[in-house]
Amino acid sequence: MSENAAGKRGARARAARYRSRERAKDFLCVAPALAFFLAFVYYPVVELFRIGFTNWNLIKDKYDYVGFKNWKWLFQGSGCEKLLASLRITFTYTFWEILITLAGGILLAALFNRESRAFSAMRSVLFMPRYIAISTSAIVFMWILNDQYGILNYVLKLFGAAPLAWLNSEKTALASVLVLTGWRVVGYGMMIYLSAMKGISPEYYEAAKIDGAGPFQRFRYITLPLLSPTTLFLFVTTFIASMKVFQSVDVMTGGGPYQSTNVTVFWIYELAFVDFRVDRAAVVSCLFFVILLASTAATMRISSKNVHYES
Amino acid sequence: MSEANQGANARARRARAVGALLQYAAAAAVTLVAVFPIYWMIISSLKSSEELLRPVPTLWPAAFNWRNYPDALKMAPFGRYFLNTIVMTGGILSLQLLAGCFAAYGFAKGSFRGRDSLFVLVLGALMIPIQITFVPIYCMVAKLHWINTFAGLIVPQAVSAYMIFMLRQSFKAVDDSFLEAARLEGMGRVGIIFKILAPMCKPTLMTVGIISFIDHWNAYFWPKMVTTTPLRRTIAQGVYELKRSYAGLETMNQNQIMAGAVMAVLPIIILFALLQKYLLSGFSKAASK
Repeated sequence: MSENAAGKRGARARAARYRSRERAKDFLCVAPALAFFLAFVYYPVVELFRIGFTNWNLIKDKYDYVGFKNWKWLFQGSGCEKLLASLRITFTYTFWEILITLAGGILLAALFNRESRAFSAMRSVLFMPRYIAISTSAIVFMWILNDQYGILNYVLKLFGAAPLAWLNSEKTALASVLVLTGWRVVGYGMMIYLSAMKGISPEYYEAAKIDGAGPFQRFRYITLPLLSPTTLFLFVTTFIASMKVFQSVDVMTGGGPYQSTNVTVFWIYELAFVDFRVDRAAVVSCLFFVILLASTAATMRISSKNVHYES
Repeated sequence: MSEANQGANARARRARAVGALLQYAAAAAVTLVAVFPIYWMIISSLKSSEELLRPVPTLWPAAFNWRNYPDALKMAPFGRYFLNTIVMTGGILSLQLLAGCFAAYGFAKGSFRGRDSLFVLVLGALMIPIQITFVPIYCMVAKLHWINTFAGLIVPQAVSAYMIFMLRQSFKAVDDSFLEAARLEGMGRVGIIFKILAPMCKPTLMTVGIISFIDHWNAYFWPKMVTTTPLRRTIAQGVYELKRSYAGLETMNQNQIMAGAVMAVLPIIILFALLQKYLLSGFSKAASK
């Protein structure tokens, strides 16, 4: 009897040991990934704040802690003006990229919403630019936008318009970068909208037709509202992606002319690897991170109130 | 009455045909504009320098100057760039898939304490791009003497939070009875992940794998930070480097630069043509979340 109880207890203990071993093995499955995120995502964020309080210059080995000196430079010193300028350029760029993705995407989705081989092939052509390296397509667009020999200025002249300096003028440089961006993103917006439009039940359209709604009314009062979750998705993902713009600026303008395309990430890069002021780069990165998080949270909150979910 | 009806029908049919025609014409016009940069890249890569700089551009080269291709290859080590890109992308992709499958299993089917709160660390990593943290990561990598090495190119990208997120979603959808049956047959975790879950989630694996492959093949930001010499540069930087190698004479050598661009984008265009259905399904999945 007592022997039996001891055996049972032993069995239970063995089972418990087995279970905890299994749990440990399950944890081991996620451990490498977690260790990676701690080392290459979270630790660098902590480092960023720490470096911001030093006077670290990349070409020197030693550095000291200098308190809020870099933060003062950013908010009160010569950094402030550059910060505001770079944020203004970044937000302007982001505004246009979002507008092109959403408005261009939905217009093209309405135009390309037809089932046939030809349309499917044309959709692929519009979708493909997104998968070509930005740096390479930037080089192609620089040739198209060349102010002397570029085909775009030739076309402008054909139509009697004055040729533009494109990348060589501070007035048009950001717009030139956006020409490339538009080419890259508009097909993506279209594809996302098209796949969402497939999910709208045709009954809505039939009911509206019976009520005498024309194609534009149907688009305005059925398609658009039912696509609002897709619009929110596109808005937030495009916002996050376009705030990080770097490649096209680095290749096409190098932040110029006269800093007219000096977006924030490019500025951070120049602070760290051209001026070697890692300390200043760190405080700008910190602030930019906070701005990115706060504005993402704000857009999600504002737009979630205006989104219609199909029940 | 019936005649009038027929007339109305015919008119409606005609209106629909005109509408369809207009739609075709407008869509074709948009497509032509979209494809033009690719066309112009290829055409320019085949022109002679003299033809390239004519005041009236030609839409078709007078003579095909294939020499631009070997000439471009002489200016920049494209073979090296391609090799580097293949090794880097292959390394990143295999590590990401390996770590991703294990982590997705742990977060979807594992039973350790704090599983869901630890998953927040993965979601948080989605919100912190390397464009924010590259300065400290660069300093770490420099301290490890990884500048201009494959380790420097690969390791900081070796785990993808996005991939873990997508695979976890997909693994979760697999019914536990499959796993229990496999366990009864004495299958361990590794077997369950790679013989049961991975084959059942093949579409998701394909999609996230292809997206990650293209992303890293085209990656520019981090490879630029971590390479300072042509030794480990990748193809996304290659065309830019080619252009810079003409220092001041870019315009008259645009044909060779465009030849370099054609060589750089050709693999991706072929890949896109073959695999775009996976990209599309990935997007409709992501957009419906």
